[in-house]
Amino acid sequence: MAGTLYEKYGGFKTVSRIVMDFYEEALDSDAIGDFFADVDMPRLIDHQTKFIASLMGGPASFSDERLAIVHRHLGIKHSDFDEVARILAATLAEHGMDPNDIGEVLAAVESKRSLIVEADTE
Amino acid sequence: MSIAAINEKLLRSIGVGVALVRASDLCFLFHNDPFAKWFGVPEKGQSLSTVIGDLEESGIRAVVEDGTPFNGEVQVKLKRRTLVIAVTLSRAREGKHTLLVVECQNITRIRELEGMIDCYSTMVERNTRALEREKERVERLLLNLMPRSVYEEFKTFGVVTPQLYENVSVVMLDSVDFTEFAARTDPTVTLGELNDIFTAFDRITEQYGCERIKTIGDAYLAVSGMPDPAVDHATAVAHCAVRFIRYLERRNQSHPHKWRARIGLGTGAAVGSVVGIQKYVYDVFGPSVNMAARLQVLAEPMGIVAPEEMTFDLVDEFRVGDYGTEDVKGLGEMKLITVSGNLHQAKRF
Repeated sequence: MAGTLYEKYGGFKTVSRIVMDFYEEALDSDAIGDFFADVDMPRLIDHQTKFIASLMGGPASFSDERLAIVHRHLGIKHSDFDEVARILAATLAEHGMDPNDIGEVLAAVESKRSLIVEADTE
Repeated sequence: MSIAAINEKLLRSIGVGVALVRASDLCFLFHNDPFAKWFGVPEKGQSLSTVIGDLEESGIRAVVEDGTPFNGEVQVKLKRRTLVIAVTLSRAREGKHTLLVVECQNITRIRELEGMIDCYSTMVERNTRALEREKERVERLLLNLMPRSVYEEFKTFGVVTPQLYENVSVVMLDSVDFTEFAARTDPTVTLGELNDIFTAFDRITEQYGCERIKTIGDAYLAVSGMPDPAVDHATAVAHCAVRFIRYLERRNQSHPHKWRARIGLGTGAAVGSVVGIQKYVYDVFGPSVNMAARLQVLAEPMGIVAPEEMTFDLVDEFRVGDYGTEDVKGLGEMKLITVSGNLHQAKRF
């Protein structure tokens, strides 16, 4: 895993803090918080830890199939997706991540858009 | 400010939720802000078990009756978050009245962190298992390239020191007319045949504690006495040689392709080492190896030729014949013998 952002920013030590902050922000957001409201806490934490670790090239693999399955039927809109990306970018910036690296993470997020956003919603 | 006033102020300002209820009817006498934030403001006459829903009745009774402290956990839904609150009940006396002190701590963050650690350790464990499997695969591969003791040295020190073994014996087998066979046969068939035969040879060498060093095309080279010393290295390679021939004879009876081979045995010193840095090959060099290679050429098809010095070791278990004297390239004049399986053993098979 040498050379990944996960390594560069100090591994799980940093990721765990990013996850906690992202988790707080996401729950607080009026736009997207409701998506997380009824997910039980351990599952949500598990999901977000893997999500953020894998975006940074850490030891988690999130297969595209799995991503699609867990987001199916949630009716996620493009604007919801954008909001998550915005919160994530802000959280990463707060943790001192380099803008170029944030760009890299967001590009990784962007590449999953079609799996997460419901195809027939705007 | 009186002590009581300070105490009350303190109870109001701390982050722990605190409430006092009467033991007799469980009605609230006091609660602070954190308590109200999590459970709402208790209305007049509302009892403890209605304000905090999930508390076990038996637990509360035990505190009231026996003063056994009670510890429990309840979940509270606050906006989108589910909070985990640890509740402790203990009995206290205030003058004539018996009170219950309700102490509530928000342990949500601890639970969240536990969840995160669980998640992370599962990921790490899965990765560790994957790495273990990969390591075993690599080890298996390397063990095909070098003997285990050499591999252990290689693993520990990163290098393998060339080592001289004084007493080893070598068996070298080469097919008769292989080039011609390979030319008229489909290469995949040739390879399949070689694979089949060499696999059988590997089993034989293993059975006699020998080590297969390499195959070069149709030639097969195995040693005994290295890297682990063996007193019976001479008989071990002779046993292999006899079994190789016997295997080929039996195989030829049922296969369209008839294989014939010559075998040379050698004995003496050899050096074993890993050759190369990126492409590891464990190889052996030395007089014994040259000897086996040279004598193999002199053998009749399906025959075994060995140096005369091996006679003493082989004569009890094999039929040894006189081959005569030959001028062997690089080794000079040599007295040679032929070796074949003895009758007793031949019957057994």
